[in-house]
Amino acid sequence: MRKVALVLFLASAATLFAADLLFTAEAQKRDSFQHSTIAHKKLDCSSCHKNPTANWASTRGYPDVADFPGHASCINCHRADFFAGNRPAICAGCHVSPGPRGAARFSFPVKSRSQQFTTIFPHNVHQDIIATTIKKSDVAVAHFVNANYRSPGFVDDKPQFNNCAICHQTSSKLPKLIARTPSTIQPLGNAVTDGFIPKPAFFKDMPSGHATCFTCHFQNVQPIGTNCAGCHSLTKPYSRSDNVKRYSFKFDHQQKEHSVRDCMTCHVRISQNADVRMLKDADVPFMTCVSCHSDKITEEITKRAESVKDQKPAFQCIYCHTPDIGRFPIPASHENK
Amino acid sequence: MSFIRGIILILLALPTFSVAVSSQSAGSLEVSGRVKIGGKVEKLTRKRFYLFRGGLETNKAFIEKIKSAVVVSRDCFYCEQKASSEFMAWLRAEDCESPYCRSITADDAKNVPEFQAAYQKGMRQFRNKTAVAQQWLTTLLAPSLRDGFYRQRKTSVDLALANTKPLQSSMTDSVSVRAIFIDIPILGAATGGKTTETFLISNVIPLEFAGKSYLWACEVEIGPSKKVTLALQVPEPGKTVRRCEVVVKDLPVCTTGVCPAK
Repeated sequence: MRKVALVLFLASAATLFAADLLFTAEAQKRDSFQHSTIAHKKLDCSSCHKNPTANWASTRGYPDVADFPGHASCINCHRADFFAGNRPAICAGCHVSPGPRGAARFSFPVKSRSQQFTTIFPHNVHQDIIATTIKKSDVAVAHFVNANYRSPGFVDDKPQFNNCAICHQTSSKLPKLIARTPSTIQPLGNAVTDGFIPKPAFFKDMPSGHATCFTCHFQNVQPIGTNCAGCHSLTKPYSRSDNVKRYSFKFDHQQKEHSVRDCMTCHVRISQNADVRMLKDADVPFMTCVSCHSDKITEEITKRAESVKDQKPAFQCIYCHTPDIGRFPIPASHENK
Repeated sequence: MSFIRGIILILLALPTFSVAVSSQSAGSLEVSGRVKIGGKVEKLTRKRFYLFRGGLETNKAFIEKIKSAVVVSRDCFYCEQKASSEFMAWLRAEDCESPYCRSITADDAKNVPEFQAAYQKGMRQFRNKTAVAQQWLTTLLAPSLRDGFYRQRKTSVDLALANTKPLQSSMTDSVSVRAIFIDIPILGAATGGKTTETFLISNVIPLEFAGKSYLWACEVEIGPSKKVTLALQVPEPGKTVRRCEVVVKDLPVCTTGVCPAK
């Protein structure tokens, strides 16, 4: 009896192990399509990807690349792979159940798969085109009848000026936070506990699909929806991360005095740079904080200096920073304000 | 032998060079866009300014070039493009430079002929989805009306900056109305001579305000120790602004159908 139980146990363990192996292998196959192969790189994106795909209305609600390329895109080069056994590996790239009858496809794109492209967004250009307005002139308005195209029932709502909020909305869930600490400097001590937990609304999100971009760039305005390389460039495969890396997690965008300001009041480098990922420093320079918070910052800098002078544990700056950042030596940017 | 001597000289010079680079100091500048015009402080929001090395004298040729450049005003540009009076009114109602300035409402799509035509095209193209047709309306506007004015101004800026590269550029925000320049390398401080350096601030192409165009070219001393503030000024009639060249011109009157001859 014991022998039978042992055999059954071993058999089920082996089955589970094999199933797991198969699943892993299949998952790897699914993830194996590489845009970076020499043959794929020679092709134009639109030779495989259609924009919009036939299913856009039901899948997205707006014209988009909402499905995998069709068989015709692959078969010229991969004909043999299509007929390799009952469950051809190539099918697992798009189909939930590989094989001749497996019609159902994964939803496109498969979010769990590695990313192979980065996205380029020149903030400075967009600041120029969407955010520039001619200052209101009483003279011009007084000389021009501007009500003639409004319907009688028109409700005079405030106009929605296009600005950063087109792409960056207040976050509804708390992102995973990672302290942006100096890599070459040692902290002055262990982080104290201050029990601070930021709220989701402290943060702004960013577009994760084409919806916002296509509002202006779907067609006619380059880079258009079929010019993938206009925004995306091939890179080493990576996993998408929504982690937020900051020097200060205590900044609340929704706080009364903050929410009435223009984003550019503090995000100074946004209007100056074509690619914010290339910035070595924060896009919010310290001097923009000092303009309002000088007293509190000076107080903390003084406390730090005194604690160091008195050879006590270094005072940790927690007005703006969480202690895992506030325990580091004060950077030069904070001294020369 | 001379080759070896050259190598030795380069090696000897290297530490000096690295000291010079590492000791380079950075300054910061705040340009205030709150300008007194006609006795009232007006806000020049969302305007781009450029920072150049050198003062008025050093950049004399450049200043002459931007002063003499012909830039078409917003109204004249759209007038030349034969925009409808409703389209012009839509822009003027909120002082927009292009249709990208603010959202185009359902009412706008009904009442501005250019928007209406684009909306109807969108309805056909986007399977009668009203939200898509309305929100993506600009993708079906005529190019000249869509981003023609922006492109024209960009061309003017590119032409002006063809031989004079600015160090930085920055825009005034809509609340504090300041354009902030940071990390400005001060060469004087690095060489151990003068602790400040003279820079030039200019908007390069005239900005429009209340029926006039304004062009500034102002020199400013920037040092590494403290942020410098430059408040833009418009000269009183018959007077000048110290260390600045300010050109104020009346804008031509352009309404649909009455575009001034080129």
